[in-house]
Amino acid sequence: MMTATPFKTVCVIDDDKIYIYGLKKLITIKELSPNLMEFYNGKEAIDFLINPENQNQLPDIIFLDINMPVMDGWGFMESFVKIKPQLGKKITIYMVSSSINQDDINRAKGISDVTDYVIKPISQDTLVELFKVAA
Amino acid sequence: MSEEKDTAFGMFPIGLQALNQHYFANKQLHNLIESTNTGLWERNIEDQQAWWSPKFCELLGYEYGALDTSYTSFIDKLVHPEDKKPLVDAYQNHLKTQSPYKIEVRLLTKEEGYRWFETSGKAWPDENGKLSRMIGAVVDIDQKKRNEIKLKRNEFLLNETNKIANVGGWELDVVNMELTWSKEIYEIYELPTNISPDVDSAISFFEPGYREIISAAVSDAIKFCKPYDLELQIRTAKGNIIWVRTKGIPIIDSNGECITLRGIFQNINENKLKELNLQKSLDLLGDHNRRLQNFAHIVSHNLRSHSGNLQFMVNIFAENISAAEKDEVFGNIRSISESLATTIDHLNEIVKIQTEISKELKPVDFESVFKSTQNVLDSNIRRTRAMICYDFSSCPTINYVPAYLESIFLNLLSNSLKYRHPDRNPKIICETYFDKEHTYMTFEDNGLGIDLEKHKDKVFGMYRTFHQNTNAKGIGLFITRNQIESLGGSIQIESAVNVGTKFTIKLT
Repeated sequence: MMTATPFKTVCVIDDDKIYIYGLKKLITIKELSPNLMEFYNGKEAIDFLINPENQNQLPDIIFLDINMPVMDGWGFMESFVKIKPQLGKKITIYMVSSSINQDDINRAKGISDVTDYVIKPISQDTLVELFKVAA
Repeated sequence: MSEEKDTAFGMFPIGLQALNQHYFANKQLHNLIESTNTGLWERNIEDQQAWWSPKFCELLGYEYGALDTSYTSFIDKLVHPEDKKPLVDAYQNHLKTQSPYKIEVRLLTKEEGYRWFETSGKAWPDENGKLSRMIGAVVDIDQKKRNEIKLKRNEFLLNETNKIANVGGWELDVVNMELTWSKEIYEIYELPTNISPDVDSAISFFEPGYREIISAAVSDAIKFCKPYDLELQIRTAKGNIIWVRTKGIPIIDSNGECITLRGIFQNINENKLKELNLQKSLDLLGDHNRRLQNFAHIVSHNLRSHSGNLQFMVNIFAENISAAEKDEVFGNIRSISESLATTIDHLNEIVKIQTEISKELKPVDFESVFKSTQNVLDSNIRRTRAMICYDFSSCPTINYVPAYLESIFLNLLSNSLKYRHPDRNPKIICETYFDKEHTYMTFEDNGLGIDLEKHKDKVFGMYRTFHQNTNAKGIGLFITRNQIESLGGSIQIESAVNVGTKFTIKLT
């Protein structure tokens, strides 16, 4: 187990650069975390997570988009479940999407490793709340 | 009928008088005749005098001797008006040609109204050889006749019903494998009624595919006593393909074995075609509805993602941030507004495809459209060193919306160039062909390919991209599919990662 750091490391997996920019800004403004890593699709994130060299930099929270090229949010979760035992850290995953499709919401809530489903845009209050839950 | 006359005619073996005498004199003969329930009569051809035996009178409900002894009055009063002429005709024919005299008539009984009788007789000559009298018998055939009439009516009704319903009956004697058809079945098969059907040839009229079904059903009915009720297609003797309903019910003996198979055979072609047409319309409507729903979904999703970002940026803008940061945020707002406009343009394009009802179909030449598309992408084709082959010889033209065909070619060709394999030059093959009633086009490349296991249902979706490619917009195939489907076609994809992709398009 890693020793707990005062600030949580946040990882955002999303192909929407404007959204990533906004999230980063919000986290900075609210002083929620100085450490933020970003990936533009699921595969990039998985490649990072399974690399043993990165075992000291694993995130505490992942904000995961659904619709992405190469590997989408569902594909990421499938791979994540497989590599989870190798990761020496508990990671809280939020699925964040602009989809209000009930099928997507139910599917996300049906995955036990997904803590919650959040509809974009994330408000500041919600963001603060999500950091608390992940604590 | 005097005694003198009697002697005058005494020479006849069975004259009226002799009969009269014997009838009562000979008890045995009397009883014999009475017991047969046969009434006797005699008629003098010259003066129309008549004699009616006791049984005759009884059959009509009268006492012996109560009937008028005139044949003329018998005809007038007792014979049913409709039967008078046939009776008189038969009588005259008999006298003229000695044709057998035997006729069914209705006679008025004393208390039961008209009843059916069969009367028969024979004319005998006098000593001069002239036909002078007729002797005959009547039998009560009322019950038999009424049953016969009822049966005839039922048969008529059944025949009419069968004719109207286009339905016939059949029976298969399982032991001898003898098949019997009613008239209507011959008509449905368009076969002459003089051939005798057998199971194998009856089955051979069914269309391939249905033949196996009926064959199995008949064999199961015989083996396992399993009834069947099927709607199948046959090709009639005259080559017409029609839908029929065939129903078979096994008749089981006391050992539980099927000894006979009975059933109906009905021409349901008209209704079935209507039903199929209705189903087709329903499918089309369902399809349209699905597309509309999908579209509503797309609109909601795509606009939401932009409005979400916009809200996001506006909120951050309101925060206490530096001027430089405000510039950044504003830059983002500008780019959101641009993408929003693009998205709305795309959506407009889709709406246009969906709602342009009066799409003008024109004969379009595949080769010239394909060549002009190649010209548009010329620099791209040169840069990627793509090799492009086509063969439109088996189907060179099509009735289509010209702009759609251009757009389809452009999307497919630019996709193939965009998602080419880094290790080899692109090779693209496009062909058209005609199959039954439809025009097909295949479009094949040797590019990156798509993992269909993962992305099958998303390939033709809006804003779906699969490769990390900066100029991927995820709109091309979505528009292509919409254009194709709006003209009643469909598009299929086969693909293997690192091998290539092949689209098969049913254009019309």
